[in-house]
Amino acid sequence: MEIPYTVTARKDTGLFNSKVGIWLFLASEVMLFGGLFSGYIFLRIYADYPWPERTLPVLPGLINTFVLIGSSVTVVFAWAALKMRQWRRFQVFMGITIACAAIFMVLKGIEYTAKWGHQAVRMDDYAIVEGHTHKAELDDHGHFHVIHGKKYPDHAFPANRIVFETNEIQIDLTRFYAPYMKELIEQAEERGSKILLADTIAGKRNPKADEKTVAMAGEELAVGFLKDARELFLDARAHNAGVRTDELRRLWRVAKKNNPGEPAYLLASSVQVDDAALAPRLVPATGTVKFNVQPPMPFVFKRSWIRESEESARLKDDTILRGKLQECPLVMGVDAIDFRYMAQKAEAAGKEPMSVIANSWLLQKPEYKELWKQHLESVEKLEQKLIDSHGWKDEARGIANRVPTDTERYRIGWKDLVEYKTGERPSMVQGFAGPSHKKEEFAKAFPELEIPNEKISLQSKFTPKWNTYYAIYFTLTGLHGLHVIGGAIVLAYYLFFSKGLYLRNPEWLANRVEVGGLFWHFVDLVWIFLFPILYLM
Amino acid sequence: MADSPEAVKKAQKLYLLIGAILFVFTVVTLLVATVPALDVGRHGFDLADMTIGLLIASLKAGLVAAIFMHLSNEKRTIYVLISLGIVFGLAMILLIWFAYADPIEFKGFYDIGNLK
Repeated sequence: MEIPYTVTARKDTGLFNSKVGIWLFLASEVMLFGGLFSGYIFLRIYADYPWPERTLPVLPGLINTFVLIGSSVTVVFAWAALKMRQWRRFQVFMGITIACAAIFMVLKGIEYTAKWGHQAVRMDDYAIVEGHTHKAELDDHGHFHVIHGKKYPDHAFPANRIVFETNEIQIDLTRFYAPYMKELIEQAEERGSKILLADTIAGKRNPKADEKTVAMAGEELAVGFLKDARELFLDARAHNAGVRTDELRRLWRVAKKNNPGEPAYLLASSVQVDDAALAPRLVPATGTVKFNVQPPMPFVFKRSWIRESEESARLKDDTILRGKLQECPLVMGVDAIDFRYMAQKAEAAGKEPMSVIANSWLLQKPEYKELWKQHLESVEKLEQKLIDSHGWKDEARGIANRVPTDTERYRIGWKDLVEYKTGERPSMVQGFAGPSHKKEEFAKAFPELEIPNEKISLQSKFTPKWNTYYAIYFTLTGLHGLHVIGGAIVLAYYLFFSKGLYLRNPEWLANRVEVGGLFWHFVDLVWIFLFPILYLM
Repeated sequence: MADSPEAVKKAQKLYLLIGAILFVFTVVTLLVATVPALDVGRHGFDLADMTIGLLIASLKAGLVAAIFMHLSNEKRTIYVLISLGIVFGLAMILLIWFAYADPIEFKGFYDIGNLK
């Protein structure tokens, strides 16, 4: 079948059809991104924490802007080449366009990786530290040790885990999550402990069925028999519920027969199932099984898996551990100290931010006290510099025309740390995608900090969990990145699989490339807004 | 729109020029945001910086739309389609104003005093 209006224009619209199509699509895209930008504005206006303005490393975003603008030019040249029937020229320009898309995604990947590897901790007094978690291990006695050095043993783990000395584990049969069970089994194996079933799991699916033994007491934890036990439990529970429902129905029939015309809400209190009488018809059904850990041993869990207290802990799948919470501080190399949130909270409470900060837990440590002193000196210098260049607004009352921002006042960034240590500020290129802990000269400027478990109120990598800024950052740039990938695939199809169409009907291919190019320009257009909004504001 | 091969050939110079302008504007955006001497308004990021940043971005977006996407020379149908998109897109952004319908913060829409 001939597809109409691929080359010639339709009379009523004056356009070939696919152009109307792409503009309809772009109109819907404008609305989609409009909604997301609206979300950004809303989150920013109503943020109840200091918005991290101008904190992303600018260089990757800047290069990506150049790359996308360049690709917008080349895609229009590729289309022009087709219009002039120059296949070779088309190939070159389209090739550059797709290469630009690849560069864009690689840079995006570098940026994302840096975020996902960067640790942030908010303490219970709203002081925030950022950095890289160090590695730790448990010694033979189960005590937590930080490993210093370049080489890590296999059993090393990031020093932001919860260590829980466990002697008893209770597993919820309907909710247990197999990967957690496997983790328990593996860790026990590694430390030479055994997780042994406390009581034999046996029972009947219903009173008439045969007694079935699923596992004997003393058997080692395995996912296989947990699944069998779950099946047995669910069958028994279903049987019991059925019996109860039948009994309730019978009681209602009797009650209605004995009290004709009486409304149900008056009868309800008299219709009661006699549990004792029902008991013989039921089968025992227990939804949890207990295991003993012999000998008791410390398990190491990701913080997102576990809610811990002193003597018990609960994994996300309702597995309950009993024992004792071990000393397991979060240990990191600190590359930024941020008191903005603390200052905001202090102001809200009517306190003097600087004195609240000076009394914070972190600044009781001599090393950090010294850093803060250095920082205050540098803020003072900046203040003086601004007064020298822009003068006073009201000298008598000490109000200057220009004053340092909250970020400059309350945040010690990684470049500040390096500057305080070495006297030299890293350049834009050196901090390409963020602070590098691999470079010796930087790493020595980043002090180690041990944060006790109870001081941590939120810890996260720089992901949507950390705050709404990163949530909207990943949503916007992620969706934009998907558009780049999608656009590149379509353009690559024109480049690699359209020679036949070019020879048959070059104008049709030119129109296709124009339509693909329109989408590509739109992707560029979105980035033109994303770059200043996310990186510079 | 430049549709004949000759017209397309001519238009290429314009495309290059626009590309160059976009590059320059990007650099200007960066400098205004990062170089202290070019900081407008108060020290650091503020409303003036935001206005300048968004104005430049809008200008760049306008150039891309007008020249690269040929909107400067397009049929009426397309204008209708895209303005619909923009109107509804703006409506999405203006939805934020509904936040002010919170009766505790904003008494304009919903005055408890009038309720008997």
